[in-house]
Amino acid sequence: MTAAAARPRVDARAKVTGAARYGTDRTPEGLAYAAMAVATVGKGRVVEIDTAAAAAVAGVRLVLTRFEASELKPPVYIMAGGHAVQSLQPLLSDHIAYRGQPIALVVADTPVAATEAANRVCARYEAAPFALELDDEDAEKLRQPEALPVPALADIAVGDAEAVFAGSEVRVDEVYDHPKQAATPMELLGCVVEWRGDTVVVHEGTQNAGALRNGLALQLGIDPADVEVISPYLGGGFGQKNSLQPHLGPVALAARRLGRPVKFVMTRPQTFHQGSFRPASRHRVRLGADGNGRLTAAIYEVDQETSRHDLFPAMYTEAMSRLYGVPNFSGPTRLVRVDTQTPGYMRAPFESPASFAFESAVDELAYAVGRDPVALRLANDTGTDPITGQPFSSRHVAECLRRGAERFGWAARDPAPGSMRADDGSLIGWGVAIGAYPACVAPAIAHVRAGADGRVVVAVDGHEMGQGIRSAITFLVADDLGIAVDRVTVDIGDTRVAPQHLTAGSWGTASALPAVHAALRELRARLGVAETGMLDVGAAVAAAGQPTVEAEAATLGPGQPPEMLDRSRAGKVAFTGPVYPGFTSFSFVAHFVEVRIEATTRRVRVPRVVSVVDCGRVASAVTAASQVRGGVVWGLGAALREASEPERRYGGFFNATMEEYVISVNADIGEIEVDFIDEPDPLLNPVGVKGLGEVALVGVVPAVTNAVFHATGQRLRRVPITIADLL
Amino acid sequence: MGGATIVPAVETSFTVNGQTVHMALDPRESLLDVLRERLGLTGTKKGCDQGQCGACTVHLDGRRIVACLMPAVQANGRAVATIEGVASPDGVLHPLQEAFIEHDALQCGYCTPGQVMSGLACIAEGHVGSDAEIREYMSGNLCRCGAYAGIVAAVRQAGRSGI
Ligand code: FES
Ligand code: FES
Repeated sequence: MTAAAARPRVDARAKVTGAARYGTDRTPEGLAYAAMAVATVGKGRVVEIDTAAAAAVAGVRLVLTRFEASELKPPVYIMAGGHAVQSLQPLLSDHIAYRGQPIALVVADTPVAATEAANRVCARYEAAPFALELDDEDAEKLRQPEALPVPALADIAVGDAEAVFAGSEVRVDEVYDHPKQAATPMELLGCVVEWRGDTVVVHEGTQNAGALRNGLALQLGIDPADVEVISPYLGGGFGQKNSLQPHLGPVALAARRLGRPVKFVMTRPQTFHQGSFRPASRHRVRLGADGNGRLTAAIYEVDQETSRHDLFPAMYTEAMSRLYGVPNFSGPTRLVRVDTQTPGYMRAPFESPASFAFESAVDELAYAVGRDPVALRLANDTGTDPITGQPFSSRHVAECLRRGAERFGWAARDPAPGSMRADDGSLIGWGVAIGAYPACVAPAIAHVRAGADGRVVVAVDGHEMGQGIRSAITFLVADDLGIAVDRVTVDIGDTRVAPQHLTAGSWGTASALPAVHAALRELRARLGVAETGMLDVGAAVAAAGQPTVEAEAATLGPGQPPEMLDRSRAGKVAFTGPVYPGFTSFSFVAHFVEVRIEATTRRVRVPRVVSVVDCGRVASAVTAASQVRGGVVWGLGAALREASEPERRYGGFFNATMEEYVISVNADIGEIEVDFIDEPDPLLNPVGVKGLGEVALVGVVPAVTNAVFHATGQRLRRVPITIADLL
Repeated sequence: MGGATIVPAVETSFTVNGQTVHMALDPRESLLDVLRERLGLTGTKKGCDQGQCGACTVHLDGRRIVACLMPAVQANGRAVATIEGVASPDGVLHPLQEAFIEHDALQCGYCTPGQVMSGLACIAEGHVGSDAEIREYMSGNLCRCGAYAGIVAAVRQAGRSGI
């Protein structure tokens, strides 16, 4: 029997039968359909817009090109203390900031009529020159500490990296380029909005129902108590659905004006031009070391794109400065303004591109000093956070490396590039890299209700986007009380039951589980039973003489002030970490990758990957393993396929379809072996969990590119690596 | 820009999971939108609406198609099968659905109905001879969560058990 057969993902049945309801699966009575017409210039101004043909389409009810600021206030960008993916609200002025910006919202009786009408909206523009890439002349460059003068975004600097680097025995100094990428969750952006009297009910796949609720209320000038956001399942989020989207306000107003529920499903090409994306970044890495490869200094400079209208904070150095015990580190960071929608958090947003650069440089160092890449990494391990001087709450990356090397068979590796060949003549390359991701925590409120029927209902902050948080919570409750999994119901992603703080940054499980754990302690106290141990829930509730017994608990991250709960209730980001009073917390991973490069076509295949993860205690074995495999699949795509290409002529993005933006397909993926250290973190929370979803991806890309170097002797410092690079 | 199109509706009838439906349809309406928006069968998902992702895979007279590229009027006189009809009416799952659960062949679940419909067809077509063959014939169905290993294992298990 498989592990999943023994303890399956709790919502698997709903998903394999099609019963799980995602945001736009709702079809309320009287539903109308919205579609958007979008700007076809890269930047400029709408001079004239003709909606007559659109309005004449049979079944069209509304064609809206402009809202008044009195009815639709511009939102505040999430990273500027607000709720939205960007500050720019389309349909408030004639200004066009980027290609694909909506210029009209059409609502009709059917999807066909809405689509036709949107296509018939015709605009004349005054076009302006635009910048799309880091090197473009008009791309404004800003030093991050000056543009965003807050302590958390100050350039990291310990010791004297410049001087020590200059005096180091061995030096590596290289530049690595990472492209823009699109998150492309399979579920399209969209919503179903319905007014019930003064209350607006929003069904939308989101990682942040709390931000939608509070942000929409602010935009519309209504009470947040009159907004309900319901998002029990996301069809993938990956950061793209992390806050209020620009479509929601206009759709809500259209629904109110029409007096009918409205469904909006963004077209796939529009998601590339409107959804947040991973911005391009350039990384110069300078490593200083002694002759044995002991790191003495690292200077890690990063340039990252942001939009004209927002400053997307770049945090590449946070994790890389903790990968090894480097005593002298500096990380000057710059932001570069280009003319696109605001870029954002796409799975391991900084850490994956950063690890490509940093772990490539470490591999270059290993070859420069003639030391095995695993041994060199082990030699640079540390138990102390080199930036703060505090201990790590737990750090088992050395064990990840040792166990991974063992499982992979690393000892059989001939280090010479181009030295290993398969029977069919393919070049074989073996590569390794490690990763780290901050273990953060957000406030959470858990409510538990136990019934005399023995059932337990848990309501808590959290969103299920496939990572398995519903399963992890269910298993925690079932194991704590000693009851069957099917006795437990978990309500998440719903503002009617909890604030629904943003679920992202791999803090979801590490935030929800401690709150549920605390609520269970409270429940046991109210039932007058022991703090731990098996419980006959039905009998205990009956003994209390009530049909149900309820308990609630709110938890914060270590050292977080209680005001953070109010921030969370207001739909704002309120997480803390990875630096806590007295300790620093990261999750860690080691990836081992085999590539095979066909002798004539130079096609790169990845037949096997071994990944070993330190995420603290594993809260749900089956979903955790799936999450790691998913991270590896992402990394293989990032290394070998994915890039959002700028459209130089018309602005925006060139390859804006699922066909042209190439993600990994089934045939691209070979064996992925996953293992966990599964040691509870002793300090971060009583449950012992750290984050998992993002660290799984960190380091996969350089493990692939390092393997390509081992196979070919070619050091490629730009991803994705394509056949053309290897001919 | 010319005037608005007036498209006469077309009387259409077909079966969905064995039930006959009869509708007057705009010939531009996709089978996907008709299933989801008119028939309430939202198990079939829209991932691209351009025939590129496989999320909308259903069976038409037993063969897998992407419902977003099929005008619903083309289903006239034919039999459509969707994810809602795969388990038996009393709720007993199909062995392939069981296998998806046993191998955790899903994460967010959004691609899953399409994967199951494709998997059923892959098995019926006899493309389960090797893992490589399964991978190839399941590659029209994207999974951004990266559940591919589990999907292959599930199709292999159900395919070999001779269903
Ligand atoms: S929705 Fe039909 S193939 Fe993507
Ligand atoms: S399970 Fe999420 S896209 Fe496949």
